[in-house]
Amino acid sequence: MTKKSKYLDIFCREADEHLASLQQGLLALEREPANAELIHELLRNAHTLKGSAQMLGFADISAIGHRMEDLLKDVEGGKRQVSAPVIDLLLKGNDAITRMMRALTECQESPVNIEQFVAAFDRGEFTGGEFKESQASNEVGIGETVRAKVTTLDSLVNLVGELIINQRRFENRSASLKRLCTGTGNLSQAHELQAFSRGLEEDVLYQGFLIQELHGKAMALRMLPLKTITEEFRRMVRDLAREQGKEAELVVTGENIELDRVLLENLKPMLLHMLRNSIDHGLESAEERLMRGKPAQGTIRIAARYDGNSVRVDVRDDGRGIDPLQLKQTALQRGVIDKEEADLLRDDEALYLILRPGFSTSDEVTDLSGRGVGMDVVKNNIEQVKGTLALASEVGQYTEITLHLPLTLSVIEALLLVSAGQSFAVPLNYVQETMKIRGDELASVGGKEVITVRGVTTPLVSLATMLGLPEKKRFQQGGKIALVILKFRGHCLACSVDENIGSSEIVVKGLGMQLKSVAFISGATILGDGEPALILNVPDLFASAEGAATGKFRQAFEESLAVISRGKVLVVDDSITTRTMERSILLSHGYEVEIAISGEDALEKVAGRRFDLVISDIEMPGINGFELTKRLRGLEEYRDVPIMIVSSLSRDEDKRKAMEAGAQAYIIKGSFEQGALLDTVESLIG
Amino acid sequence: MGDKMDEKKRGGYEIGAILHEMREEYWQGLSAVEESQGEQLECVSFLLGGELFAFETTSAAEVIRIPRLVKVPRVQELIVGVFNLRGEITAAIDIRPLLGLPSPPITASGRIIVVKGDKFKTGLLVESVRGVESFSLEGFEPVVQSLSGTQREFIRGQIRLEEQLVVLLDVVKLMKAPEILVEQQ
Repeated sequence: MTKKSKYLDIFCREADEHLASLQQGLLALEREPANAELIHELLRNAHTLKGSAQMLGFADISAIGHRMEDLLKDVEGGKRQVSAPVIDLLLKGNDAITRMMRALTECQESPVNIEQFVAAFDRGEFTGGEFKESQASNEVGIGETVRAKVTTLDSLVNLVGELIINQRRFENRSASLKRLCTGTGNLSQAHELQAFSRGLEEDVLYQGFLIQELHGKAMALRMLPLKTITEEFRRMVRDLAREQGKEAELVVTGENIELDRVLLENLKPMLLHMLRNSIDHGLESAEERLMRGKPAQGTIRIAARYDGNSVRVDVRDDGRGIDPLQLKQTALQRGVIDKEEADLLRDDEALYLILRPGFSTSDEVTDLSGRGVGMDVVKNNIEQVKGTLALASEVGQYTEITLHLPLTLSVIEALLLVSAGQSFAVPLNYVQETMKIRGDELASVGGKEVITVRGVTTPLVSLATMLGLPEKKRFQQGGKIALVILKFRGHCLACSVDENIGSSEIVVKGLGMQLKSVAFISGATILGDGEPALILNVPDLFASAEGAATGKFRQAFEESLAVISRGKVLVVDDSITTRTMERSILLSHGYEVEIAISGEDALEKVAGRRFDLVISDIEMPGINGFELTKRLRGLEEYRDVPIMIVSSLSRDEDKRKAMEAGAQAYIIKGSFEQGALLDTVESLIG
Repeated sequence: MGDKMDEKKRGGYEIGAILHEMREEYWQGLSAVEESQGEQLECVSFLLGGELFAFETTSAAEVIRIPRLVKVPRVQELIVGVFNLRGEITAAIDIRPLLGLPSPPITASGRIIVVKGDKFKTGLLVESVRGVESFSLEGFEPVVQSLSGTQREFIRGQIRLEEQLVVLLDVVKLMKAPEILVEQQ
């Protein structure tokens, strides 16, 4: 730190105290105007404030302090009475200095038009033009922020999450009430119930909106963009460099990456130290740079981005770099290492000497940064948040410090997918694409299955198998395999999944202290339905994919082809839900399925085509299921084809009628979810 | 005691509320008998491997119905899965194999007792929860000789009741056991 900025720090603290006691004292004075001791105390506050500001060259603050002091002197000397306008005036002065102090610490322009303010103060009335518009509107007053414990915020976010889940239950209950109402017999009661149900539905809907908004706000409480701490760095870098007769520019990328506020609080001192180091030790003077063929202005870059389950922040300067030989020598001289250790250290390892306590490479320890002390702080802070630090440098070219910060609570974009019947999330930066392939697009290399993705041969593995979870289903409709293509360090890996759901913003949560580190898993999130979903650790997947067991897709595909010819089924139903359900059950078990939406449609479809089985509803517009069965039996080629009735009619009479018409089986709708449909189909056509 | 355990709709209930009720009942019972029966231990009691187990209510946070458990890949079998406990990812553990107990299937009466440790909470899978009861320490016996090393580690002993035995589980030790932690490379 420079002398000036060191004093600035002290001044800020001192001023805060004086401003606080002025504020309190002035309010007390209003209640007891004759308190001479209090007036004297206030006078002392204003005087000290004025004096300190003057010493540091803050003329504006000093000017206002001076006016306040004069006014208080008049009050003490009995020239003016303590009155509401006088107190107001003094409070105004106090406010103005408070604002200016805040602007000072945030490296912003003074929010006060000083001439106007002083004139207004002397006049005793304010017009409103004394404060600059833009500043006033941007600023968040003290009364508008509160300090809150992060643990409180955490539990708030968790509770809101639970509220969302409970809201879903309310919605479901409201929906079932609505259904119940339509079936009530008693008319007068039914009306009342329906009205109640409608009212409830509206209330639940409105509450849903409120909860959604609440959730957004609660989430926002924890997260802040990186720019909240980097914005003030630009000015600081420029000024600090100038003080050393250097030119420097700070370029920040990834400023909008949102980080947990705890992480940001930790990151700020780290970045400050690193920037100071870069200016102090890294960047050369303009002349030296020009001599070396570099632009006169040095550049320091802060680049932040998501990197797997962490946030990566690079701080890189294009200065002189770190000379490992010189480092070793200095370390030897200072007794940080001995000769033996020095000989063993590789150049890239030697860089890390700067992290050792009490190490300084600068021949002169400047005001700006005692390097060893600074880097020590960085190392401690990063260890506190369980992050890592890496150093890279090339002499004469650059120095780069890379921080990896864990995500304790961050929002990331992720692909949601289902594998082994469970939901998983993959950070989107690891996902190249999702696709579906047919079994015949598979090839094998050295016994391992591969597919071609954009012209590149890519290994194919089963995600469930890699995770050691039981494979639930391998083929989607039409014998296709759903894949997610993962990328990591320029390599691709195709993983088969049950289903890709789509991308979504998720909140990353840790697995807690019991599951400290789990292979393949970097964290978890909670989905909209309240169920947890694990977040896959893609680097782990890549590491284990080397030599991973072949997925045996080809074999499975061939088997499934054989299964597909199990039989052709015609499904006749006017309800799209029933049709779709029956179709997907049958398809997933290797039957070929044709759909007819009515009896007439079915009769058209059977003409000229041979089905192995017909499944029909009874009640349909046009000819019903009994009639359809009879007519099919009348056709030469459908005399012996099994016909199965699926109906919601459960009376024995209906079953009897179906059998009389020529059906072989009769099952009740709703029971086919439990496998009745499939069992019956298998018993009829195998 | 069992019918005191009617859970509310959400599937969980406040141990605190039940405890309060229990205390009331207990004090009422005492005033009727006049004289106390010695030192009491307030426990949550439950079935594990067909045997009656218990541990102090001070370590129990709540009892919930078993939610859908999300399997965690490649961890020890004891970690059955994770679930969402009001926004916190919490593991559910089945300690019956660890205690050398048989593992009858967990049915609809199965519950998770959320156990509080120093550093985390974990969900203990049990076959059913009997209730919160006060046991007299007079009937306490140290652990029997025939138990194996691991069993002795987590079982403190048993309390003889009139009709049966209650095995006292050492949850404090259990919560510190490396067997229930996952720390892979």
